[in-house]
Parts: sequence; structure tokens; C-alpha cells
Amino acid sequence: MPGTFRFLDDIAVADMAFEAEGDSLQALFDAATQALIQSLADPASVAQTWQQIVDVEEPDIETLLFEWLNRLVYLKDAQAVVFHHATLRLDTNPDRSVWRLHAELVGAPVDPSSQELRSDVKGVTKHLYAVSQDETRWKARVVLDV
Amino acid sequence: MRRAGKPGWYWTCNCAHNERAFFHQPRLTFTLCFHVGPSMTLNTEMQVNRIDDYLWEIPPTEKRGMLVPARIYASPAILGSMDRGVFEQVTNVACLPGIHRYALCMPDGHWGYGFPIGGVAAFDPEDGIISPGGVGYDINCGMRLIRTDLSLAEVQPKLEQLMTELFRRVPAGVGSRGFVTVHRREFREVMRKGAAWCIAQGYGWEEDLDRIEERGCLGGADPAQVTDYAIERGINQLGTLGSGNHYLEVQVVSDKNIFDREAATAMGLRGRDQIVVMVHCGSRGFGHQVASDYLKVFEKAMRRYGISVQDQQLACAPFRSPEGQDYFGAMNCAANTAFANRQVITHQIREAFAAVFESTPHALGMHLIYDVAHNIAKVERYENGEWLVHRKGATRAFGPGSPALPDCYRAIGQPVICGGSMETGSYLLVGTDRAMQDTFGSTMHGSGRTMSRAQAKRTVRGEQLLRDMKQHGILVKAVSMSGLAEEAGLAYKNISEVVNTVDGAGITKKVAELKPIGNIKG
Repeated sequence: MPGTFRFLDDIAVADMAFEAEGDSLQALFDAATQALIQSLADPASVAQTWQQIVDVEEPDIETLLFEWLNRLVYLKDAQAVVFHHATLRLDTNPDRSVWRLHAELVGAPVDPSSQELRSDVKGVTKHLYAVSQDETRWKARVVLDV
Repeated sequence: MRRAGKPGWYWTCNCAHNERAFFHQPRLTFTLCFHVGPSMTLNTEMQVNRIDDYLWEIPPTEKRGMLVPARIYASPAILGSMDRGVFEQVTNVACLPGIHRYALCMPDGHWGYGFPIGGVAAFDPEDGIISPGGVGYDINCGMRLIRTDLSLAEVQPKLEQLMTELFRRVPAGVGSRGFVTVHRREFREVMRKGAAWCIAQGYGWEEDLDRIEERGCLGGADPAQVTDYAIERGINQLGTLGSGNHYLEVQVVSDKNIFDREAATAMGLRGRDQIVVMVHCGSRGFGHQVASDYLKVFEKAMRRYGISVQDQQLACAPFRSPEGQDYFGAMNCAANTAFANRQVITHQIREAFAAVFESTPHALGMHLIYDVAHNIAKVERYENGEWLVHRKGATRAFGPGSPALPDCYRAIGQPVICGGSMETGSYLLVGTDRAMQDTFGSTMHGSGRTMSRAQAKRTVRGEQLLRDMKQHGILVKAVSMSGLAEEAGLAYKNISEVVNTVDGAGITKKVAELKPIGNIKG
């Protein structure tokens, strides 16, 4: 099942927050990635003319998601791009001491004349940041500084 | 107000009225104080004592670990509208090692990361801390005001052309890139020299430097402490506005909106529907990345130094530690880059006006009034010593006679530029002696949000707002309609009430109100 996300209204008055969830870690990462992509621009308005492979490796899931989302913010500025979609592959080692994310990121250079641009996110914050798992679902709460 | 006993909770005003109220539900987030009105409620259960009409104090007994009292500048109405985060966060700040006298929050305060927005705190440079959470992600976000000799009558017929030209010359919004191309070696010079680098390249006038806080260049900038990620995020963004609450605004100063004629004259403001231009922006992706990088460094450093904080976003390190000094060096690079960013934007504004009015910036009288930071940490000297002052969403407001001020402003005090919402207007004020004594020379920075971005977007549509503002005589050019809706005036506090609070408290004095006629948003 694909993951889902929703923007949270009143967690951060001056900024943006979302909650993503999925029945697997993969679905959770897909949903959180989609939430950030949609915060920057309407992906339907973004062409698929730019691609980049991104690999992130961290010792735990929380840090991996945090660093991955921050990497998207970095690429937005460093490459002056917005994103159409990302294809993610998640894996870990046998003792789960290392988590890896392989991402194929697709988008286009920023073009205000053809894209519906939204918020210029400054960073992913640790405020109320949480990744959790209940019996059936993974959840993440993320606050973005805009 | 003072807690008096059980059952239920009694709250007694700490003022001459000596009245009290009783509640059966103590965990609900309200208190009541009859002397400021029968229905005043606060979003905290903490004891909040009234010091005077505009100042409130939370004593150190209200939270474990508080080293000093927390003080909030607010009218009763503003205090009642402040969110719970303000009370929690200003008292968290009061727990930080080395804090001096008080943790302060200004009347435009609201929840932020670590410090509240509007937060001010001074630390002993020898045994106190430095915290990126006390500076913010947008290092040296600040305000700049440029005057002109043009009047509304001269600008109005060409306003559409002027705003189009400004929109073309000053890129805004997601991923925008500036017209200044620099290589890494040059970018390091920008980090070290700030606005002076721009002047040397021809992007401004020598006199501009006198009218920028710290002459647009903070000492101690150390490019070696900046990551490649930060450089790559920022190197192409010189001369860009960004988005969120950042803007470029063409404003009018009318005679009826000048409150202090002497100070206004010293700043070159004569009224008579004079046109000025305000810029609000900061260090863009460069500063954001410096903040993100060092929050990670400080999370680890705190364990090493045995520091615990109430909120992870208050991650900090001793100022004199290697980590503290590294952050200070990197933060100063970002601050100088922000000064340079606003300087390049000023150059573009002057060029745009010159093109539209077929004149020169000098002939149009486009002198800089002032440029001031409102997200910064600086070592500043006061009568009682040197302190590392953090201002996050708070503005330096040095009083008359300060040696930090240029000759032209030494008699009146430092100009303070406070941005309101794009619908309601902004204010120009001056710093006071009272600010030097009570707030480490600090005051408010803007009107402060009261409504979330999502709620604002549900309440108003960008396209409709654009039309409504045009009907009210304000021409808006925006990259993002959703971003525009987020910045609607209804999402902000009434700036006049906020300004009247700092004026009434005596920590800044009103000089002029500035009304918008054109706005550029990311």
C-alpha cells in the first residue's frame, strides 16, 4: 500500500509541518518525500528534465529520513531545481546498524513561468521530529522551516 | 499574577488592584487578571507577574533549571494573544548556562525553534553558551530601508512599470538565482567582507557602509568553518529575496504618519508622500545550511560538555569552546553574506528606479536610511561589560550617543526598521537609553504571526488577495499565489499595537509609519 501524508495546521504557526505514514518503512519514506516535494512546488507542473542519484547512509531510521529530507532541501538550492518524483530503495545490514537509502530523483530547473512554485523551505527541523511504529504502521512527523 | 492556594486555583494580581479569580480546572490554559480586564486569558499555567503596563515577568521558580527570570514585553491584549510556545520557550532560554539578568521576549513574539521569535538573551562570553537556536535558520535576516526624493504623485503613474522592473531585477521565490556570479574564492571574500565587498565591486555607495549595522561586516568570519554544502547552497543566491515572509516593498511616508519630525529629518524623511523602499531578507540557503550543519555539531558537543537543554532545538556549546568558536566563525560568514545580499538588492533597486524614472540613483536621492539585523548573535559592549547577545526576531536598538552609531544618527539613536504585513504597513523607530539599560539594546522586529500558513491559505486565495490589494492601492508581484495567501495581513498581529507596546515601554520610539503601495514576494 502506498503511504499517505497530511499537512498539520497549527504545530508551527510561522512554518509548515506534515505527518506521513505507511504500512512499511518504504511507504513511509515515499510519503514523507512526496510531502516535501509538494511543499516546494506542484509536481504536476514540474517537467522531468533533470535527474540525480542520491545515496544516504546513517546508523538509524530517524537520522536517515532527517538527512534525506535535508538533502532534498540542499539540492533545491544548490542545483536550483524542483522535483517531480523520487524513486527510493531502502535497505539495511543484518544487524540493522546501518541504514541506506538509494534515491533516483527526477525534476527540472526552477522556472516560475511554467511551474507552480510554493514554499522555499529553509531546512528540516528537529522540533517535534519523530519517527515511530505502532502495530501496523510507520509514522513520521516533520516540521519544516520556511 | 500569583497562585494563592487550593482547592481549585486562585490567581491574584501582583498589582495595586489586588483582586483574584478562582478556577476549578487548573490544567486548562488560562489565568485571569481583573486589573487588565475581566476576560484576559494566557496560554500558560505559569505564574506571570505584572511589572508595569508593558512588561511581565515569569519568576525562576516557575520551571526547574531557570537561572534568571523571563520577561515579556507586551500590552495585556498582546500577552493574552501569545501562544503557549512563547511562555515555554522564553523560560527554556532562561535555563541556558551563562545567561545574564533575563531571558526576554518582545511583543511580536511567537513560537520559534529553540528561542521564541522575538527572543533576546545575553550570555557571559567567558562561561556562557552560544546557540544556533538563538539566532535562527536565516542568519542575519534583516531589514533595510532606502529613501528617495520621489513623491507618490510622481511614482503612481509609473507604479506598474516600476514593480515589473523591480520584479525582474530582484529574483524571488524557490530556487531563484541572483545576477552576481562569483567563484568560491570570491564567495569567501563576500563571507569575510560583507557589504564592503559589494561596494568594491560597484554595487553600492561608500556612504552606505556608515548606515549598516556594524558597517555591514562582522569581524571573526572564518570561511574555513563553513561546509561545502553551505557554499553550494548559497553561492548563486546573492541578490535574491527568497520566499516566506521576505519581501521588497515600495512605501509612502505621509506627513500625518511622521511622529518624530527631528528624527525623521535626520534620516532624510520629509513626509509629503515621500517614497521609500523596504527590503526584508537574509542569508538565504547559505545561512540556512550553516544553521543546520551546526545544530548537528552542537547536539554532539552538548554531551561532551555535560550540557542539557529543555528542547533539542536549543542545542548549544560554550562560546569559548572549539565548537562554539567554529559556529561563531561560520555564523559571521553567513551574516556578512546577508549584508552583501541586501547590498546587491539595493544596487538593483537603484538601477530599477533609475531606468523607470530616466534618471540616476543619486539624482533621485536614493540614500540608504539603515540596515539592521534581526537574527544574530554578537559580542556587544555595555556599561556593565561585554555580553554575547542573541537576537532572534529581535532588532538592535542602540540609544542616542552610542559609539556604534554613525555621526548622522548619534543624536537621535539607531534607526529600527519594523516590517508589518504587506497589507498594513511598517514602522520606523529609534533606539533609546532605556533599551540599553533594560533589553541589551534590543526591541521588536515585526508584527508577528498569529495564524498558521495552512489556515491563512484556507481563509484567503492568493489570486483574490492580489485583486483586493490592488483595489486598496497596493500592487503586488508574487512568484507563488499560495505563498502570497500565506502572508495575508489577517495572518499577522496588528503591527500598530505591537509598535505602541515598545513605544510605551520606552525601549524604542516611533518615528514614522510607512504605508505600502507596491510589494514583491517570493
